[in-house]
Amino acid sequence: MPDLQPGINNGQPVIIVGAGHSGVAVAAGLRTRGWVGGILLLDGEKETPYERPPLSKELLKSGAPDESTVLRKEKFYQDKRIERLAGITAEAIDRQSRTVVLSDGSRRGYDRLVVATGSRARPLTVPGSGLPGVHALRTREDALDLKRALVAGTRVAIIGAGYIGLEVAAAAAARGCKVTVLELQDRVMSRVTSEPVSRFFEQLHEQNGIRFVFGAAVTAIEGQRRAERVVTADGTVHPADVVLAGIGVLPNQEVATEAGLECRDGILVDGEGRTSDSAIYATGDVTRFASPVDGTSQRLECIQNAQAQADRVAAHITGQQPAEPEIPWFWTVQHGVRLQTAGVRHPDDDVIVRGTPAVGKFAVIYLRDGRLAAVDTVAGLADFRPAKKLIAAGALIDPALAADPRIPLTDTIPNDPSLTDADLVSARI
Amino acid sequence: MSNNKLTVVDREGKSRDLEWEPDQTLMEALRDNDLPVLASCGGTASCATCHVFLADEVFDTLGERSEDEIELLVEAEGYRECGSRLSCQLDFTKDLDGVTVTLAPEE
Ligand SMILES: Cc1cc2nc3c(=O)[nH]c(=O)nc-3n(C[C@H](O)[C@H](O)[C@H](O)COP(=O)(O)OP(=O)(O)OC[C@H]3O[C@@H](n4cnc5c(N)ncnc54)[C@H](O)[C@@H]3O)c2cc1C
Ligand code: FES
Repeated sequence: MPDLQPGINNGQPVIIVGAGHSGVAVAAGLRTRGWVGGILLLDGEKETPYERPPLSKELLKSGAPDESTVLRKEKFYQDKRIERLAGITAEAIDRQSRTVVLSDGSRRGYDRLVVATGSRARPLTVPGSGLPGVHALRTREDALDLKRALVAGTRVAIIGAGYIGLEVAAAAAARGCKVTVLELQDRVMSRVTSEPVSRFFEQLHEQNGIRFVFGAAVTAIEGQRRAERVVTADGTVHPADVVLAGIGVLPNQEVATEAGLECRDGILVDGEGRTSDSAIYATGDVTRFASPVDGTSQRLECIQNAQAQADRVAAHITGQQPAEPEIPWFWTVQHGVRLQTAGVRHPDDDVIVRGTPAVGKFAVIYLRDGRLAAVDTVAGLADFRPAKKLIAAGALIDPALAADPRIPLTDTIPNDPSLTDADLVSARI
Repeated sequence: MSNNKLTVVDREGKSRDLEWEPDQTLMEALRDNDLPVLASCGGTASCATCHVFLADEVFDTLGERSEDEIELLVEAEGYRECGSRLSCQLDFTKDLDGVTVTLAPEE
């Protein structure tokens, strides 16, 4: 095999496996960065690649059109000479000969390969999980199925109070469904946020008629021909016509594992998106990597990461400088209220609430060793960008100042003359 | 409807003319013409990477900015009270034919 040199193409295309947010961003990024070689995009789905966030938000609204929001117009792929094979998956990667075996039986050679296969909804495994009426939400098809099922008056049981479950709960309630959310933990979104934010969103959902059952371990879904009820470990029976499982995702790493690439609940990549094979990159939901902030091994399931990693891969392939690393961030919208998060919170971070949740607009910041590590903003974005910068800078924060929402976050760095600039900030990325 | 013509001044100060198609937001027109607009939120007024400047007289003809848009922009690099917009929030209109758009600095 010829040696790979950044920016040089040896005649074979870059093959991108998966045309979700990350795969499409790699293809577009390669062209923006001037790559003139071939680009082959293997799209396991059939329609023009589309945005996923609206699937649990706008698309489910009553009266909203069923059309998807496309990532790029169909014409874009032609204009940019991106060969997109719709409905074709990569079945195997032959690293020796640098070829990919496609689902139509053909083989295509590559110089560089990018695995952007994303993730899939973690399937329920309890008895009855396969009954009609049990839904998951990952693709547009899933979303349209769900939308058709969410008829006014329908009893909906949502398993898992993560952001997808809660966004669907909100949409279902707005469509006139009777919604119960079953959650194993004792509060909503416990994996991603702190108690004050959880409590705020619980109240918001309750005001909109949604009922929560916490500590609920689902043991079975029962029904004659279709789902009729959900049973939990304590024997409680929750009648339901529609069940949605929102219990996390699994990385679509099989094609990489089988090719012998290093994987551990995600394809392992470095800061440039390189896998254990120098000709193969991976980006997006399917990857696991060390956080540039603190080295923690992580898998991030958000658009920001899908795009940022894609740009780094495009930069590496074309031999260019990537953009500065970005603090990861995420958003969710429930009952019209936006929660936007920057940074990755740890459960033992110090929690400081800025503002009064009762007025419906506030922020929560998270300090680790006194330094800003993450922020949640609710119904307002004033703290969002300053927080991103301060997190990247590893800025020390005075908790007393930060508790006053009238003081801009940038003015909450301690006013202590004995601290040097080096004490105040210690750049994280 | 026919396309709009746009002049874009990039972050190096170079100008370029391009076409803005009726079914695109301004952000999409910039991004699909290979300008370095990351648009990392897909146009939902969450990221501000699509921040642009417009001339005062053009800015004044546009509608009010939403609260989210203002809060994001105020904290953005080079914010101008009059002139800063998130390009993803600007739909195609014939009124914007021939205008000049300047990309705001990156963070
Ligand atoms: C309902 C929903 C709402 C969301 N809302 C938000 C939000 O508000 N904000 C946010 O930041 N994130 C949100 N996310 C997460 C976000 O959509 C993902 O992080 C993002 O889509 C990841 O992009 P990706 O390209 O890695 O994977 P995906 O978008 O999943 O794309 C992977 C693609 O690869 C295809 N594929 C898999 N295997 C193969 C193969 N062998 N060959 C060919 N193709 C293959 C898949 O079919 C898929 O089309 C949401 C996700 C969902 C499902
Ligand atoms: S694209 Fe994110 S704010 Fe415009």
